[in-house]
Amino acid sequence: MLRIEFQTPVAGITSKLFELELPIKSLEIDNALPVAGDSVFLFLTVRFDTEVTPEQFAGQLTDIELVEMQPTQVNSHTYYLGLITGFCHASILSLLTKNHAIPHRIVGKHAYLEIIASVRDWNHLKTVASAIENEHGSLELMGTTQTDSIGFPLGSNKIKQSVSGKLSDEQLELLETSYRMGYFRVPQEVTAAEIASELDISRSTLSERLRRVEHNFCELLFGPQE
Amino acid sequence: MTTIILIKSVEQEQTVREVLGSVIEQDEPVYFLRLPSVRCLGPLIQEINPMIQYNVDYSIGCLTEGDNVSELVQFAVEKNANRICVGISERTLTGKARIDDLTESILLHEKISGNLIVGEHVIILEDLAYD
Repeated sequence: MLRIEFQTPVAGITSKLFELELPIKSLEIDNALPVAGDSVFLFLTVRFDTEVTPEQFAGQLTDIELVEMQPTQVNSHTYYLGLITGFCHASILSLLTKNHAIPHRIVGKHAYLEIIASVRDWNHLKTVASAIENEHGSLELMGTTQTDSIGFPLGSNKIKQSVSGKLSDEQLELLETSYRMGYFRVPQEVTAAEIASELDISRSTLSERLRRVEHNFCELLFGPQE
Repeated sequence: MTTIILIKSVEQEQTVREVLGSVIEQDEPVYFLRLPSVRCLGPLIQEINPMIQYNVDYSIGCLTEGDNVSELVQFAVEKNANRICVGISERTLTGKARIDDLTESILLHEKISGNLIVGEHVIILEDLAYD
């Protein structure tokens, strides 16, 4: 099985959202559930440029029903959205699932979608890429790796979803970079100074931010400190 | 089994060593096919010394300026290559082998198919079939 990472221009509902008068910085499709008929429940995390009310947002939507809109706890101008729309509008999801590819992550930035998905093999990759290229206009493969397991399909990574509401984007980036570079391995594969350099921050700032992340984790696990 | 190692840079020593050391069998013919941007394979070959260190019989070829992918596929068809190996120059933030434009063009080329294996320093396309 191959895990692939690629970019493609937005289409369908993601395109509609990026065209709204309320400018969106980024969005991520967290989950999707089928609704009777040809509709789909879409759960997204959306980061706007400014504060937005549900009324403002719903007023700009056509062919999309806003079911829920909640601000996240730590990231400003970022909201969890629940929407109902036609499955045909969830273009990238329908293309991936129709072609039996497993979506893991779908993030929209600057009118492009960054997608991580699993395919069976090289031929399957070509089939999926061709289908997406036909519908979205273009596709750019970014990376690939081999894997024995399906991993977490879109929407099933509950721990990450829980944590993402408790940690800011900067904290998640710090944590992910530290993890990817091998900071938490024993023995460590990278020094704190190297991570600080990668993130363009001082070592003391890195140390402080990591402690804050650890504190937030503990709060999540054990509740607020008395 | 015939193997083509696509050389995108003379700094691909690890790629070549991985292919010669753990992908191909001894005595299998190997073609080092360099991109036109790679001027000379001499230092790389000298450093690796494929005949003495790995006991492989190798030839050197060069793609011309222009459509590298079509030329590569044509070369692979002519040599009836079973394998094409493309070096991994870097990894994405999530640890995946970064796919550059050339590798993407090979992977999505309609006339070539087979199995894709991702190694430590190399993407291996093997059991190749040509339409």
